[in-house]
Amino acid sequence: MTTDYSIAVELKGIVKRYGEILAVDSVDLSIKPGEIFGLLGPNGSGKSTTLKMLLGLVTPDYGSVNVLGMHVEKDPVSVKRLIGYVPESARLYEFLTGIEYLDFVGDVYGMSTEDKKTRIDEYLKALQLDGRERDMISSYSEGMKQKIALISAFLHRPKLLILDEPLSGLDPRSARIVKDFLHELKAPGVTTIMSTHVLEIAEALCDRIGIMYHGRLLALGTMSELRQMAKLPDSGLEDIFLKLTGTGDVRAIVEELLK
Amino acid sequence: MNWKNVARLIRIDIKSGRLLRGRRLTRFRENRLYTYLLYGGALLLGLAIGALVGASYEATIATSISLKTTVNQVAMDFFFSLPTLVLIYSLVFTMFQQFQRSGAKFSSQAAYWLPITWQEHTLASIVANLLGYLLASIMFIGAAIITFSLFIGEIALAVSTVLAMCVSAFMASAITEIFRVLQARFTGAVYKSTGRAAVWVRFAATLLFFLVFYIVYFYLVSGSGGATFVKTIASGQSSAWFVPFVWLGMTLYSFTNGLLLQGLAFVTLSFVFIYALYYIAVLLNRRFGFYEPQAITVSSGIYAPRTGVLSRLGFSLPEAALIRKDLKAFTRRRELMVIFIIPIVVIIAPIMQTLGKTGQSTPTRGSLFLFAIVFLFPASFMASMTGSFMIGEEGQAVWRLYSSPISAKSLVKAKYFFAIFFPVLIMAITGCIGLVVFHPSLRVAFVGLLESLFLVFAIGAVSLSNGIRGADFNEVPRPRMVNPTWGLLNLIVCFVVAVAILSPFIPYELSSFMPSLGSPLVGLYQAFLISAVIAVTFAVVFYRIALSKAKELLTKAEA
Repeated sequence: MTTDYSIAVELKGIVKRYGEILAVDSVDLSIKPGEIFGLLGPNGSGKSTTLKMLLGLVTPDYGSVNVLGMHVEKDPVSVKRLIGYVPESARLYEFLTGIEYLDFVGDVYGMSTEDKKTRIDEYLKALQLDGRERDMISSYSEGMKQKIALISAFLHRPKLLILDEPLSGLDPRSARIVKDFLHELKAPGVTTIMSTHVLEIAEALCDRIGIMYHGRLLALGTMSELRQMAKLPDSGLEDIFLKLTGTGDVRAIVEELLK
Repeated sequence: MNWKNVARLIRIDIKSGRLLRGRRLTRFRENRLYTYLLYGGALLLGLAIGALVGASYEATIATSISLKTTVNQVAMDFFFSLPTLVLIYSLVFTMFQQFQRSGAKFSSQAAYWLPITWQEHTLASIVANLLGYLLASIMFIGAAIITFSLFIGEIALAVSTVLAMCVSAFMASAITEIFRVLQARFTGAVYKSTGRAAVWVRFAATLLFFLVFYIVYFYLVSGSGGATFVKTIASGQSSAWFVPFVWLGMTLYSFTNGLLLQGLAFVTLSFVFIYALYYIAVLLNRRFGFYEPQAITVSSGIYAPRTGVLSRLGFSLPEAALIRKDLKAFTRRRELMVIFIIPIVVIIAPIMQTLGKTGQSTPTRGSLFLFAIVFLFPASFMASMTGSFMIGEEGQAVWRLYSSPISAKSLVKAKYFFAIFFPVLIMAITGCIGLVVFHPSLRVAFVGLLESLFLVFAIGAVSLSNGIRGADFNEVPRPRMVNPTWGLLNLIVCFVVAVAILSPFIPYELSSFMPSLGSPLVGLYQAFLISAVIAVTFAVVFYRIALSKAKELLTKAEA
C-alpha cells in the first residue's frame, strides 16, 4: 500500500448511468492534499453518486477513480481504511449504544484499544454527547445521531474525509466545532470533500468549490474564480450558484405562487 | 369523522407493502396482480372446497335422514363457533403482524402532524391491520361456507356468519390496536424502571410473547388441537354467554333458534362492545399514541474497551467487532429474536401434542426417530434461518459495511461463525433434552451429535451464500432481511443438502427395519464417513460461493 501522492483525489472522465438516467457525465476533477473541497449542486445533480465513487461504493461505467494514490476498484479495502465517510442521512445500528457503535467502528478500522478509548472520550466530550453515550442510538435525536456519524468518520484519523451534508441537524456550538476542526485538519494534510446545500458553509469553509448540474461539473474554482466565471464580482455564493445552474429565475416563480 | 381521510390512510398502509414487493423504485408502476391473485385465489379456493364438500355431502350423506340431521347440526354448530374462532385467530394474527412491524413508525408518523384526527387514525389503523392474508382467509372461509350452505339449505345463516366473521375480525383488530398502544406505554415504563436490565427484560418478554403465541397458533392449526378447540367453543359458548367475545356467535345461535329478543340483545351488546373498544383505542392513541423511543441505558461506569475472547480465537479486530455487533443485534432486535423461538416451537409443540395424545411411552424405534428429529432438526432449521438473515439484517445501516475496510473474506468469516454459533448452542440444548427424554444408546447419541454438527456447518454455509444473494435491506414496513424468492429457494436447497448428508444412513436404516434384506450394504461407521465427506464438500463449496458473492456485494454496493 502506497501513501505517496501529490493529488489526494483524481477523477478522470467518469460516467455513471442508471438505466436512462445519466447520473454523472464525464467528470474530471483533482483535489490536492489538505484541501477542503465543496461539491454543490441542486438535488439529483450527481453529487452523492460522485462521492460514493470515491469510496468504491458505486462503480463508474467509464473513467478512473484514484484516491490517495490508489486505484479504488483495485484495492477498495486499503482505500476505505484511509477514508472517513458520513453519508447523507446516515442510518446507524440503532440497537447499539453510542459508545458501542464507536467501539465497533474503531475495531473495524483496526485501532488500538488505548487510542480508541482516548479518542472516543475526547470526541464525545467535545460534541457534548458524554452522559448519553450508553443510551441506545434508537433514542437519540437526529442531531445526536449525526454527531455519532461524524465521530465515527473522524475516529481513525483518516487522510480523506468524505462528508455528505455533515452539519445537518447539528446545534450551533457543535457545528462550529466541526467547522473549526475541519479547518485545523488541513495542516496535517487531511483532505475534506463535502457536499452541502448550505451555501454559507461552503463559502466560509471550502478552498475550492465544484458545482454540479445534470451530472456535469459545471464550474470549478475558488470563490473569486467562480465570481469571475459568473460575472458577478461582488456576489455571494448563492447568487453565483443560481446564475451558473440557470435556476436563478426565482422571482417569477415566487410571484406565481403568490397569485 | 372524515371518511376520505380514513380511506387515504388505509391506502397509504397498503402502499407501504410496495417497498417489500419490488426493488424498482424509479419510474414505479403499481402492479396489483399480487393483490388480485391473493383475494381472487382465496375466493376461488373457498368456492371449490365448499362445492367439493357440498357435492360429497349430496352423494353420501343426504340420502340418510338421520345422518343428514347429525351433519347439519354439526355444520350449524361450526357456523355458530366461527365468529369466535375467527376472533381468536385474527387476534393472534394481528398481534403477530403488529409486533413484527418495527419499521412502521417511519411510514406512519406523518399522520401525527397532518390535520387528521385520532379517530380517523385509529379506525384506519384497525382496518389496515385486517387487510392482506387475514382478509384473504376470511374470504376463503366465507366463500366455502356460503357454497356449502347451498347444499344444506342454510344460506341465510351462512351469510350472517360471514358478516359476523368480518365484525369479529374488526373486534380483534381493535383489541390489537389497544394492546399496541398499551404495550408501547408499558414497555417504555418498564425500560425506564429497569435501567440497565431493560435489554434483558425486552429479550425475555419478546421470547415469552412469541412462545405463547406460537403455541396457541400451533394448538389452533394442528389437527387434534383445532378439532378439540372447535368442539369446546361450540359446546361452551352458551355457558360463557357473559364473555363479550362469544356474543357474535350467540347472536347467530339465538336468531337461528328463533330467540329474537335474545338475538337482538346480543347483537346490540356486540356493537356496543366494539364501539367501546374503538373508543378506548382512540383515547389511548390520543394519550400515548405518539411514538417516543425510550432511552435505554445499557451500561454504566467507565468506558473500557476489551480485546475479548474472539480475538484470542483467531478473529481479527474487524471480524470480532462484527460478531459482537451481531450478537447485540440478535439479543436486542425483536424481529431477530424470533429466530430463537421458531426452531424450538416448530419441533417441541407437535411432539408435546403427540406425547400428550397417546399418553403412553413411545416405542423404541419411534423414540429413536424422535430423538433424531429433536437432535438434528431445530439446529439445522435455525442455521438455515440465521445464515439467510445474516447479511440482510444489516438493513439500511449496511452503508457502514460498504464504507468500512472490511474484506469479503472477513465479512463471510464473521457472518458464518455467527450463523453456526447459535445453532450449535441450540443443538447442545435439544440434544440434552433428547438424551433425557428418549434414552438413546451412546453410539446413536454420538452419531447424532456429529451428524447434527455436519448439518449445521453445511446448511450454515448454504444459507449464508443464499442470504448474500437474496439480501433485502428494506426496513419499512418491516425488516424482511431476505427476499421471499431466495428465502424459499434457500429452504429447498437446505432440505436437499440435508437429505444428501443423511442419505448414507438410508441403506443402514432400511436393513434394520427389514431384516429380510440381510446385513446392511453400508455399516454405521461407513455411512457416517460418507456423510461427513458429503457435508464437508457442501460446506466448502457453498462457503466459496458465499465468498465470491460477498465480493460482489461489497464492490457493487449501489442499491
